[in-house]
Amino acid sequence: MSSDETEITYFRRASRWKYIVILLIAALIAIIIVSLNVGYAQISFGKILTILGKQVPLLDSIVDSSLILPSEAAIILQIRLPRIIAGVVVGAALAASGVVYQGVFRNPMADSYVLGVSAGAACGASFSILFGAGFSFFGLRIIQVAAFIGALFAMFLVYNISRVGPRVPVTTLLLCGIAVNFFLYSIVALLEVIAGDELHAIVFWLIGGFSNVLWSDIWAVFPFIAVGISISYFYARSLNLLAMGEETAQHLGLNVERVKQILLVLASLVTAAAVSLSGLVGFVGLMVPHVTRLVVGPDHRILFPASTMIGAIFLVICDALARVVATPFASTLELPVGIITMLFGAPFFILLFRKKKESYAL
Amino acid sequence: MLYERLVQSLVLLNVDGIECRYGSVKVLENVSFPVKGGDFVGILGPNGSGKTTLLKSISRTLKPHKGTILLNKDDIYSLKNVDVAKQMAVVPQESNIGFSFSALDVVMMGRNPHITRFQMEGTKDLAVVRKAMTVTNTWQFANRPINELSGGEKQRVIIARALAQEPSILLLDEPLTHLDIINQLEIMDLVKDLCTKEKLVVLVVFHDLNLAARYCTSAMMLKEGKIFAAGGLSEVITSENIKGVFNVNAIVQKHLVSNSVFVIPLSPQKPPSAKRCAVHLICGAGTGTALMKILLDEGYSVTAGVLNVLDTDFETAQFLKIPVTTEAPFSPITEKTHNENLTMISQASTVVLTSVPFGDGNLRNLEAAIVAVKQGIPTFIIEEVPIDRRDFTGGKAKALLVKLKNEGAEFVKSKNELLSLLNVSVEKIKIAKEERDRLLNHLKPGEIHKETEIQGKDHGT
Repeated sequence: MSSDETEITYFRRASRWKYIVILLIAALIAIIIVSLNVGYAQISFGKILTILGKQVPLLDSIVDSSLILPSEAAIILQIRLPRIIAGVVVGAALAASGVVYQGVFRNPMADSYVLGVSAGAACGASFSILFGAGFSFFGLRIIQVAAFIGALFAMFLVYNISRVGPRVPVTTLLLCGIAVNFFLYSIVALLEVIAGDELHAIVFWLIGGFSNVLWSDIWAVFPFIAVGISISYFYARSLNLLAMGEETAQHLGLNVERVKQILLVLASLVTAAAVSLSGLVGFVGLMVPHVTRLVVGPDHRILFPASTMIGAIFLVICDALARVVATPFASTLELPVGIITMLFGAPFFILLFRKKKESYAL
Repeated sequence: MLYERLVQSLVLLNVDGIECRYGSVKVLENVSFPVKGGDFVGILGPNGSGKTTLLKSISRTLKPHKGTILLNKDDIYSLKNVDVAKQMAVVPQESNIGFSFSALDVVMMGRNPHITRFQMEGTKDLAVVRKAMTVTNTWQFANRPINELSGGEKQRVIIARALAQEPSILLLDEPLTHLDIINQLEIMDLVKDLCTKEKLVVLVVFHDLNLAARYCTSAMMLKEGKIFAAGGLSEVITSENIKGVFNVNAIVQKHLVSNSVFVIPLSPQKPPSAKRCAVHLICGAGTGTALMKILLDEGYSVTAGVLNVLDTDFETAQFLKIPVTTEAPFSPITEKTHNENLTMISQASTVVLTSVPFGDGNLRNLEAAIVAVKQGIPTFIIEEVPIDRRDFTGGKAKALLVKLKNEGAEFVKSKNELLSLLNVSVEKIKIAKEERDRLLNHLKPGEIHKETEIQGKDHGT
């Protein structure tokens, strides 16, 4: 390759990244519409588009909604759409924080739950299921609030235990995360043992899913996730530098400790918010960044937004599957989406790695 | 006063009395030195002497417990990382890059201090990167993933990244460990060039004293965390300092071709108590060189004589600090030196006569050997080359050798035999054998041929 070609390719990359993001957004919208069609009640695409069009200002006067039954509009807007949007938000959050954790820890095993967030949330949720029935918090479900607080509590615990003076070495963070995870899960196990009738609810929450999600649940967590992801995006180049090693990153002008702190706090906040909405949906935060890296390369300026999109797409597809796979057996049974992410995600992940493992050096 | 102020204004980096500790262990103590643009400073010292720690504290990775490091009059620890990175680049000992970035991406990261968080790299940045990659000879694989490159290629990419920072100070920590010799020279030539042309400050931790000697304008030697010697190259790299810091005897000479100092380290010496026995060598024309080294290594004390000044064996003896009775260059042995030699011989417990060629000039050495035998000193004669082939005195030398034999001197066929008689270890004997083969090739090739024929016959019977 001649040197001028090298320069041209380099500058073309930025526009290629834009195309990738636009493509992924289009794919996400398409998949949202397709999955609105999935469910027990048969509602045609034409009707779906009409119902959606009615919601858009300016478009609502043009769209003719006379053929739409109120029940159909309610199924789409109040049952299916919030559920799908929850999938978008949670998938994006888990994948984005997964990228951040893997980047900061320089460890391929890191995922969105690495700092004990999952165990903290599980603990909080289990407590509220057992002891918090009937309480509510500014109109929010107590389980969501408890999970969120539990997750943040676990993160601060891990973070403060592993702090050495002003520094937070990643090895201690990882080890503390593992230790706190085990500790908190033992409490969850204890609660499960004494749960009795509530055991089913706890187990369901631990697997993670979107049954009965309301718009208000989504709005409660959306600001955290949106702000967290947006700010993190501006640290994409910092994540590239961190991939060179912390010392080198510092020599290249990065304020390593501060950037690490900001990113860890943001990612944990985003994860905690997502988990409080959906329960412990596994595997998204680990797998999506890896898969995306195989496709778009290691540069976080594209890896981060692309992972976020792919995380959203992945979780929406999984949720749609969760709604249909069980239908042949029992028409009203729905699987928790966490089962689907792991059941289909893991073999897909392994397949992909077997194909591309030689080009994938982490 | 004025001059001092001028020097002060040129100083880019001033390390002043720093002390570093890991826990309670002091690794650097009271280290001070100023550096100015165009200085190429080598940091030398054995493992654990604090070289890397010094570089770490200058690069803000390890804050010293005492003392200050000034970068253009600012305390380096009060500056922002970005501002330091604009002026100072570091090439680490080893780079472990997590993900498969392309070489170009990695070098582009060197532009980070010059770009704000919300900017993308522009054409100017690419131009800088391209220049850095061209001079380091890495542009041709700009698009290859960094972790598919060889150690040398990777290191050159890392150096290109450092150059892309456009620094005025370049710190390199044993940057040549993974490079082969041509890459070592190319990289150091490049750095040297930048140092002189762009007035860069270059601080390099060197493992190889000869590379340091070749490129540095000044150097410092660290020992146990303190500066043992610092200053101009020829003041620092001396055999005394090398002995003091590395505990290794070394020959330091000015090389005639490269006009730089070069260092030949000698094997660490065993304690002299190993064998107290003194061996006197009667040699010359390089026949004693290998023996001198082997015997010394084995713990014998060695003397030699008479040798003409400028003879190969004489020079070896000088290097090895072996006492020698000497005669003026190309001159026959005088009565006076002969007697000196006899005095030296009388103090030896063994005398060894090598297969040295004899002419009228050194015939007296044979007489000296006869005296030794008569005094009852065990005398060995190595007859690797038959006397007929090295007697240039018309038979006189041969006659003396016969006399020596009659007096009771012991003949051995080779150095090996001698060394096994002296209880020298096996691998040393191998070295002696190689030496012998070389020696044989040196002498009249026609007769070598004959000798191999003879050997062939031996094998036949």
